[in-house]
Amino acid sequence: MQGGSTGIGYGLKYQARCISDVKADTDHTSFITGTLSLREENEVHLLRLSAGGTELICEGLFSHPEEIWNLSSCPFDQRVFSTVFSSGESFGAAVWQIPELYGQLNSPQLERIASLDGHVGKLNCVLWWPSGRNDKLISIDQENIFLWSLDCSRQAAQVEVQSKESAGMLHYLSGGAWDPHDVNAVAATCESSVQFWDLRAMKKTNSIERGHVRNVDYDTRKKHILVTAEDESGIHIWDLRMPKVPIKELRGHSHWAWAVACNPEYDGLILSGGTDSTVNLWYASTTTSDELTSESVFKSPTQELDPLLNSFSDYDDSVYGLAWSSEEPWIFASLSYDGRVVVESIKAYLPKK
Amino acid sequence: MGEDDMPMDDKAKRMRDLLSSFYSPDPSVTNTNNPFKFATLDVINTTSFDADQYMNLLVQRSNLEGLLQKHVEMAAEIKNLDTDLQMLVYENYNKFISATDTIKRMKTNIVGMEANMEQLLDKIMTVQSRSDGVNTSLFEKREHIEKLHRTRNLLRKVQFIYDLPARLGKCIKSEAYADAVRFYIGAMPIFKAYGDSSFQDCKRASEEAMDTIIKNLQGKLFSDSESIQARAEAAVLLKQLDFPQVDSLKAKLFEKLEQSLDGLQLTHEEIANVTVESSNLSEQGNNTESIPGSAHGALVSEFAEAVRAYQVIFPDSEKQLIKLSQDLITKHFEITSDYIKKWIPIANFLGVLRIIWKDVLLIDKVLHEALLPDYSSKASRIAVRQYIKSTFSHLLHDISDALTNVHIKPKGEVDEHPLVVFLEAGKSSVLQGSVNVLLDFRQLLKENLGGLQLSDLIVDWVQEGFQEFFRALHDQFLLLSGKNKPAIQDENSTNSMQVEKAVPGLVLVLAQLSIFIEQTAISRITEEIAAYFSGGGGGAHENGPAFVPGEICRTFHSASEILLQHYINMRTQKITVLLRKRFTAPNWFKHKEPREVHMFVDLFLQELEAIGTEAKQILPHGVLRKHRRSESNGSSASSRSNSLRDDKMSRSNTHRARSQLLEKHLAKLFKQKVEIFTKTEYNQESVVTTVVKLCLKSLQEFVRLQTFNRSGFQQIQLDVQFLRASLKEIVEDEAAIDFLLDEVIVGASERCLDPIPLEPPILDKLIQAKLAKEKE
Repeated sequence: MQGGSTGIGYGLKYQARCISDVKADTDHTSFITGTLSLREENEVHLLRLSAGGTELICEGLFSHPEEIWNLSSCPFDQRVFSTVFSSGESFGAAVWQIPELYGQLNSPQLERIASLDGHVGKLNCVLWWPSGRNDKLISIDQENIFLWSLDCSRQAAQVEVQSKESAGMLHYLSGGAWDPHDVNAVAATCESSVQFWDLRAMKKTNSIERGHVRNVDYDTRKKHILVTAEDESGIHIWDLRMPKVPIKELRGHSHWAWAVACNPEYDGLILSGGTDSTVNLWYASTTTSDELTSESVFKSPTQELDPLLNSFSDYDDSVYGLAWSSEEPWIFASLSYDGRVVVESIKAYLPKK
Repeated sequence: MGEDDMPMDDKAKRMRDLLSSFYSPDPSVTNTNNPFKFATLDVINTTSFDADQYMNLLVQRSNLEGLLQKHVEMAAEIKNLDTDLQMLVYENYNKFISATDTIKRMKTNIVGMEANMEQLLDKIMTVQSRSDGVNTSLFEKREHIEKLHRTRNLLRKVQFIYDLPARLGKCIKSEAYADAVRFYIGAMPIFKAYGDSSFQDCKRASEEAMDTIIKNLQGKLFSDSESIQARAEAAVLLKQLDFPQVDSLKAKLFEKLEQSLDGLQLTHEEIANVTVESSNLSEQGNNTESIPGSAHGALVSEFAEAVRAYQVIFPDSEKQLIKLSQDLITKHFEITSDYIKKWIPIANFLGVLRIIWKDVLLIDKVLHEALLPDYSSKASRIAVRQYIKSTFSHLLHDISDALTNVHIKPKGEVDEHPLVVFLEAGKSSVLQGSVNVLLDFRQLLKENLGGLQLSDLIVDWVQEGFQEFFRALHDQFLLLSGKNKPAIQDENSTNSMQVEKAVPGLVLVLAQLSIFIEQTAISRITEEIAAYFSGGGGGAHENGPAFVPGEICRTFHSASEILLQHYINMRTQKITVLLRKRFTAPNWFKHKEPREVHMFVDLFLQELEAIGTEAKQILPHGVLRKHRRSESNGSSASSRSNSLRDDKMSRSNTHRARSQLLEKHLAKLFKQKVEIFTKTEYNQESVVTTVVKLCLKSLQEFVRLQTFNRSGFQQIQLDVQFLRASLKEIVEDEAAIDFLLDEVIVGASERCLDPIPLEPPILDKLIQAKLAKEKE
């Protein structure tokens, strides 16, 4: 299974789609992931990279009855995370807490802090407040965006605002990202566009007309920069001030690009995973993008620098899950559908500074 | 005796000396003849003679004998002196007496003369009075005569003025206008003074005559048939007459020149039209062009003549003329550039240039100061450059026209191979077009326009032009394909979107065309350029790169890959939409039992067929493909495992056990990972296969996102089963297709709550029913 891979592998029991970096764990590089099995008992795995960085250790294994479609870790409490799950036809979302004494228990149960109930459409994702301690959550279903206020002590979550544009039309929202530079802005992907919502008014402010966007991510380092992964056309980088045309296109996935993640530390480093069973590492400098695009008119394509730094192709199935480690930003974890977590270091590809 | 002579001489001499000393008291003149003889005794003859001193000296020096001798001598001398003195007194007295006599005689003579003189005075007085008398008596008559003479002159003038009209008439008859003008100018002062009174009629008559003269002169001035000399004279005469409208006349004449200029331009335009038409009709541009060209030449030479005449007539008008002729040339070039914009055949362009150059030379002969050759060489250089540019842009336009027609026609007429037609059209328009352009430029190169050293520049321009052209063509291709959207896109984006949606075939044609350009056209053009346009000036590298075939080849190579990829993308996108609808629309939990193969399969196959036909028209057959497949060991392994799994799937019904089996199975499968996404080859089969693979992969991904009930799973099983059979006919890479289809089934079963497959007989039955239906 390992086959000349440079990364550190870890096998989940079942298929899985989502993995998240545990941001709040400031001592270790840890990831949390959950399985997606329709008919089996699903599990949540808490993984930690060993001190030498050579091994992935399972820190905790918790049962989660429903299959997990989305999972994200709380940015300020390493024991708290949220999942979007389904069982058969029903969908739900909840915020969980890992029990304190889980090391001693045989099969510890997750404590449910809050259920994010009230969704009518199919739930797709839960987003945490981008950084710092703030008890705000966003959940996105097919039609609506909910802004929650989480009260850990009372173990409850209240709906603060709910988008109201759902009445007439279906957006078919499928996912989103919270702008780290503007906490009032959320990008939500829908069938034919990427929509930008203002959370104060819960109104759509802007949109990029682009169909079949699977995943979006804001550049954590630079304002106005958004990266999208799309079904057919690969990865695009957008400047939100000019939403008509992408400032850059990254081609290299032979099938759909499913997930993108901007590096939290290094400018222009973008990771993308696709259904062609590859993870690509890109370096796309967006600072000079304006000049670059104008220059590229005069340059022949061969002269342009290839933005693809490396292609990790040692996967057996589509890669749906990607996460940078915020602790060690040169490390990322990827999750392919067959339930294999691979943690890779990209130190070799870091731009020389 | 001798002795006597000596004292005689001495004596006479001394006397004379004495006399002279007497008359001239200057002592230095005194005789100093004896300073030696009488060393100290000579003082005797000087005025400062001291007798005592002399005596003492004499006594001291001389002895008695000497003294005695001296005494004798002295006595003799004194005697002599006495006689001399006596003689002198006598002589003086004599002279005095004669003088007195003369004076006496004079006195008596003068007494009579006074009377004579008085007499003379009297006579003179009388003569004078006489002459005065004559004068006064003749004065009146003389005055009269003078008056008469003056009157006569006046009368003569009057006569002249009275004769003036007649004379002028005569002059008019004999066309001696110069004389007439002279006469008239002579008479002018009189007319001015008395014109209103005494000579009214006469003035009128002569003015009438003058009017006719002026008219004649004007006519002469304006008539082109007159010689320039005559016209110049006429102008001079008119000026002499102080003709008030001379300036306006000049302006008028100038206007006329300008008008003729307009005429010239108009005819020029006509000529250009004529040449365009005629050379369109008959391909030989030279013959047709010469006829209107000569007409134009005549006009221009006329103009040149007029200019020269004008210059002679009005020597101070050079600036105006220079401006005028420069205007003419500028207009010429403007018109030419208008034509260039519209694009005219090379023969016409050259013809026009030649005509202009001829004009320039003609006018230059007349008006050398205008520096027209310099001026027009600059202008023609610009024109040539413009022409080259416009030719390229026209070529580009032609090509894109030929290509954009693609998406108009195929809908109307269902041709057998519409794409082939357009590919061929595109190929020929690229190759033939650029070859033609090169031919044109060769002609341009041959043409030595008035000795302009343009050939180096032309070579540079042509090379640059080609480089630019291919770059632009490349951009145009990408634009047409809808791949490269312009940065500023409001209307363009919609256009390109339309293009994108309308014709994926066009993209395929463009891809093939790019290959053609890379492999054939560039080398042809490079040869041509090397043969005829090599060795440009050094300026090529300063301004930018000249023609670099390698770069263009690279550009088009990558373009062809991009376009092919784009074609595949477009095609798969279309199918993906189909699949997305299929999988997102229904509620898979409540799916009913499968009754027939779902419609989307038909649509899918239709699309594939369309791709197949498009690809077959344009892309070459791939031969290598089969070998590669036989080499691949993964395919055999996976197909074996497929059969294994088929067995398993049909046999086991307990899904708990089966899913575990499947898991193992998957593990086994992944050991021989089938390379799904191989590089697309440039041939029909590979393209179709790639599309199918991509679509099946998408299908798999869609399936994974759903949760099915049993019937839903069975429906998918049925659809896949049907697809498997159909796809085998279309696609070569069976192993990969099998693998992918299996993956779909596996995926569906994994996402199924109750994955019980259809019984094989039912499956067969349904498929047979579908096939039968298709046959109908």
